[in-house]
Amino acid sequence: MNHKEKDDDSLQPKDTPSTDIGPKQEMAELPEAGPEDVKPSVPMDIEKREAVEAIEQQGDAGWSPSLSVDHEPRRDEAASSVAVKSVSVKKPHNFFGERPLPAIAIAPRVLRYQSRRDFLVFGAGALAATTGAGFLLPQDTLSRLGMHRNMDSPGKEWFLNKALRIDDDVAEALYSGTRRVPTYTKSQITSLKNNYNGATPDPGYISGWTLTLDGLASGLSISLDIQNLLTRFPVHEQITRLVCVEGWSGIAWWAGLRFDDLLRAYPPMSQARWALVESSVNLDSSGKPDPYFVSLDLATARHPQTLLATHFNGQPLTVDHGAPLRLLVPVKLGLKNVKAVTRITYVAEEPRDYWADRGYSRYDGI
Amino acid sequence: MVRWSHWLNVPILLGLILSGISIYWASPIYQHQPDPNTGNVDVASDLGIWICAHVPGQHHYSSPPDWIYNHMSLGPGMLALALRLHWLCAYLFMLNGILYVAGLVTGGGWRSLLPRRTDLCDALRMLRYYLGFPFAKLARRQWLHPRFNTKYNALQRAAYFSVPVAGFLSVATGWAIHKPMQLQWLAALFGGYNAARVWHFWLMWIYILFVVPHVILVFADGWDTLRSMIVGWSTRAERSEVVANEP
Repeated sequence: MNHKEKDDDSLQPKDTPSTDIGPKQEMAELPEAGPEDVKPSVPMDIEKREAVEAIEQQGDAGWSPSLSVDHEPRRDEAASSVAVKSVSVKKPHNFFGERPLPAIAIAPRVLRYQSRRDFLVFGAGALAATTGAGFLLPQDTLSRLGMHRNMDSPGKEWFLNKALRIDDDVAEALYSGTRRVPTYTKSQITSLKNNYNGATPDPGYISGWTLTLDGLASGLSISLDIQNLLTRFPVHEQITRLVCVEGWSGIAWWAGLRFDDLLRAYPPMSQARWALVESSVNLDSSGKPDPYFVSLDLATARHPQTLLATHFNGQPLTVDHGAPLRLLVPVKLGLKNVKAVTRITYVAEEPRDYWADRGYSRYDGI
Repeated sequence: MVRWSHWLNVPILLGLILSGISIYWASPIYQHQPDPNTGNVDVASDLGIWICAHVPGQHHYSSPPDWIYNHMSLGPGMLALALRLHWLCAYLFMLNGILYVAGLVTGGGWRSLLPRRTDLCDALRMLRYYLGFPFAKLARRQWLHPRFNTKYNALQRAAYFSVPVAGFLSVATGWAIHKPMQLQWLAALFGGYNAARVWHFWLMWIYILFVVPHVILVFADGWDTLRSMIVGWSTRAERSEVVANEP
């Protein structure tokens, strides 16, 4: 890359030989060094004739040394003597100093074969990448690119979900039940928008609200009202960040009971590993009932900062934020933080999840 | 190995950038007060509206606020799919990064990428050469390429050294955004969750700003260079080789 174009021109035609010429004709002549080339210590004339040399790019140590050895006998005698010369390199000054590129003399036939193979692999790779893109890209994107045939396939969903599960497993491995999320001071509190995924419910539901617990060790179904919950359990406060899957986040001051305390007071059945947290008051964007439900692993439910929050910034929760009680689980994305929780069911197998059904992650640990 | 991972970066980075801008759509970093007429808050949508109003041929574009997303990303309104593609590409990108570094280390190629003390001056000389080149071509004046006796010139070294560093930072900020609670120390390192998002966004521009001149220069440099990027050998005798013949 640090040669002038006249160097390229003189070398260009000779390094793409046609198949029928012999090794002698492969000899390329290096151009005379121009005046600006000459350094006092560098006589160029000894390099006038030189075998075609492939200067091995560094970083492909895998095949270079073996090749130069394997094909030694095939080389032209004259070429080989020169090649040996040019391999004898200057001793590097230090460990960080750049090493001269090894010049490797190689039979033209082998070089052609290697190059043809590399180009074929390159072409196959480009084809595979294009096919992969056609297979993986969203239909909307393909349509805009002019591909109107429906490319959605169960295989695509399966593949993308597989990749998503790997990420979920990583998230689960990163989770620690003892690691607290960062807490903030009151001066760091930010606004937190009402991100109900549909219409905000009419507050009429609040007066008759109860929290129902199912899948308990006792086998009973328990209903608790808000007075019951507020008087029976100690209130914990925390100023933590809520992070939305969309990317925005908000810091707020929350208060409520610990999920863990509820789990101790009403233990789930022994084989339970998951909680299905539901809100029956959730609406879709047109205002029709659209019950909301998320899966929550019990390990996360037991985290000391996982609250069933009743207060927001010092006030009882408003309808916007899920009055009278919402799940607050700062180690999960905001979408797991169900507003106006009406039922918690403990189950052994991972339950369905509103957003996982819509192509999002199931675990959502952050 | 280095060559392989170099080319694998093409589809992977393309996938990351396109899905990344689709994710950006869901909650743009750069927002302003709602526009009184359109209610729009997104600077990228403003740009789209401006393009549709001022660029010939775009006047009848059906949804100007989506222009940027329709042309520079997978598209708006597909967060779930974009996230899944982004994670897929991100894991491939990390694996590819390991391959790249392993190749540089085992092949010794990392030495060619290390910045040197004299690089600042040399890089400026190269920059001057590139900036002057089109004018010299127009004026039919000779415009000599600065000479170097290393594999890469100083500007190349700076670029080829920065991009892997940017790759590493992209991965680090990506994790900081992805797991701001479990990896809170990482988010804190970049100034917190919101700052890490800004880092992650601008690191993307390093690839875009690198790739454009990179591709132009590879083609300008000729077939030998492009071929060497695919097959791994070049016919160019390097200065260092010549020096090597002197006892």
